Amino acid sequence: MRALVTGANGFLGRHVVGALLARGIEVRAMVRPATRLEALGWPSSVEVFRADLRTSRELSTAFDGVDVLVHLAAVVSGGEDAQFAGTVAGTERLLDAMANSTCRRLVLCSSFSVYDYSATQRILNESSPLHQAPDVYARDGYTIAKWWQERVTRRFVETHGWDLTVLRPGFIWGRDHGYLAALGQQLGRHHLVIGPLTRIPMTHVENCADVFALAAADPRARGQTFNVVDGPGERIWAYLSDYMRGSGEPGWRLPIPYWLASAAVRLAFVTVFRRATKVPAILTPRKFDAMLKPLRFENRRLRETLGWTPPLDYRQCLARTYGPVAPPAEAAPWPSETAA
Amino acid sequence: MKAALIGAGQIARQHLACLKTLPGVGLAAICDLSPATAEAAAERYGIPAWFTDHRAMLETARPDVVHVTTPPNSHFRLAMDSLDAGAHVIVEKPATATFEEMEALARRAKETGRHLVEDYNYIFNHAPQEILRRIESGQFGAVTHVEVLICLDILGPDGFADPNSPHPALQLAGGAIADFLPHLASLAHLFVGPQRTAKTVWTKRKATLLPFDEFRGLVDAERGTAAIGFSSSSQPDAFWLRVYGERMQATANLFETRLTFDGPRNVPKPLRPFFSGLEEGKAIRRAALATLLRKFKGPGAYEGLWELLAQTYRALADESALPVTVSDVLAVNRMIEALKPTEQRP
Repeated sequence: MRALVTGANGFLGRHVVGALLARGIEVRAMVRPATRLEALGWPSSVEVFRADLRTSRELSTAFDGVDVLVHLAAVVSGGEDAQFAGTVAGTERLLDAMANSTCRRLVLCSSFSVYDYSATQRILNESSPLHQAPDVYARDGYTIAKWWQERVTRRFVETHGWDLTVLRPGFIWGRDHGYLAALGQQLGRHHLVIGPLTRIPMTHVENCADVFALAAADPRARGQTFNVVDGPGERIWAYLSDYMRGSGEPGWRLPIPYWLASAAVRLAFVTVFRRATKVPAILTPRKFDAMLKPLRFENRRLRETLGWTPPLDYRQCLARTYGPVAPPAEAAPWPSETAA
Repeated sequence: MKAALIGAGQIARQHLACLKTLPGVGLAAICDLSPATAEAAAERYGIPAWFTDHRAMLETARPDVVHVTTPPNSHFRLAMDSLDAGAHVIVEKPATATFEEMEALARRAKETGRHLVEDYNYIFNHAPQEILRRIESGQFGAVTHVEVLICLDILGPDGFADPNSPHPALQLAGGAIADFLPHLASLAHLFVGPQRTAKTVWTKRKATLLPFDEFRGLVDAERGTAAIGFSSSSQPDAFWLRVYGERMQATANLFETRLTFDGPRNVPKPLRPFFSGLEEGKAIRRAALATLLRKFKGPGAYEGLWELLAQTYRALADESALPVTVSDVLAVNRMIEALKPTEQRP
């Protein structure tokens, strides 16, 4: 079995490549033309395909002999239009190329950001309401791009009768990616912790990568959509404490009850910012909700459908994120401890 | 008036947001090579039809005005087809890759009796317009010289110097800086008129993909002189406009709302710098607040584009003179032609 992985050198992608190899799946890694590969430490069996989804003319050959596409590539920096062009128009070009190939199976990396947090009550799972047009355009560029990327992909799948698995990870964390937007508002070295007991929908990058490899290999994943979180998630206060200890960053944490911050933001929005069209994300109620609304998160569908349990528990994840650098590329099977 | 737009990228957003606010203007259709990009813009701005083929759009929607907001090398063909379809054309800068293409477009506009407008947004910002008002009222005195200098870091890997996806502006003579020449030339033209001769220095300070990252030009024009420039290395980002009159001088930063004047005042001569300094300080403090507040609402530094579009549509409706005429566009592009580098690299 051979997988084509886009965004293969990204934070998640490099771990997905490792997880696919660990399951005995051959990998063709799509990376941008100027990507430096030395630091990735990939074995020579990884075939590298250099292309930029925004502009490369020849994408069809990337699918030669490929059984499954694992589509992770997305533009997550720059302005709203740059993100849309890279993530959505890039996906259109990629799937146009796939339509000219024999590959009929894909796994898409979507995001929790496609859910409408403001309309979600108590538990966020795969049945929770998604954003709708045109309201989605009031959200940030990342959300619009990921929402459209999933929309475009589902249309291609419907047109061509492909097998699709959509994976929607929560906050992906790991080495050099310990700080999460869910942690509140940073003021210099200090932190305003809004809703300190709220749980964070988080998945460690190695656990998340394991789900992608499993979904690529397991026929039970076909036609399914799964939220990817390692479990109910750590509480903001506790995780921030682990983050500050692990990263060695000093600073104070000031707890603010969620209801108080939420009321203040909503009051400011209907008074001071009533006519404003450009307001910082945290002062916009819908964006505030998406970052901080206290909900419960679960991975029940993932567990029940694919029998998945996270290979690494929270303590192991902390050690992988903040501890000494682990030796590269472990070929051994995943440890059997569970954390869900 | 039915408007349509080709190219739903970054600058299109400013055109669309502005058009939604203009009375008597309806957005009829939008076109982009990417179906999702076209459809998303249509959905977002309530546009009834979207296309991926501009000719199909021109035939079906029959727009009165077409906005061309694609990368520069595609402007010529799209603008030509739009003129041929009987539409007025508002084209983003730089309007064409070469002066010959510009002349051909101007000829076709004349033949078809349609208007051709290039987006010189910064001349419609508040500051240049206020300076112009004082010149026209006589209090500024005749303009002798204008300086326009853009300091903007365009060397980062996400924009013009993207190592993965060559930026379309790099195909222009002068590379990325050519994308800014219409701003420099249109402001110079506004204050000192059509150029007679020009001298330029094109250089490169940093090892990037850009053929040039610094530019200076000295222009002898019909009503005065202009010193214009672009610096990728000078920080912070700024867009300095300085106009020198026989009675007054004006300084503005067009990335902000800062505008100060210095001129005659009724105090003994030795005290003039003191009172000038106080007044300038007050104007800068006021502008600091205005610059902060405009971050929350409206077009920000694109205020001139909104003003240009509003004036253009008003003039089209009244059949009066447009704020930017074909002869303005030709004069500005003639200056740009004289400023272009003679070599591909320094």
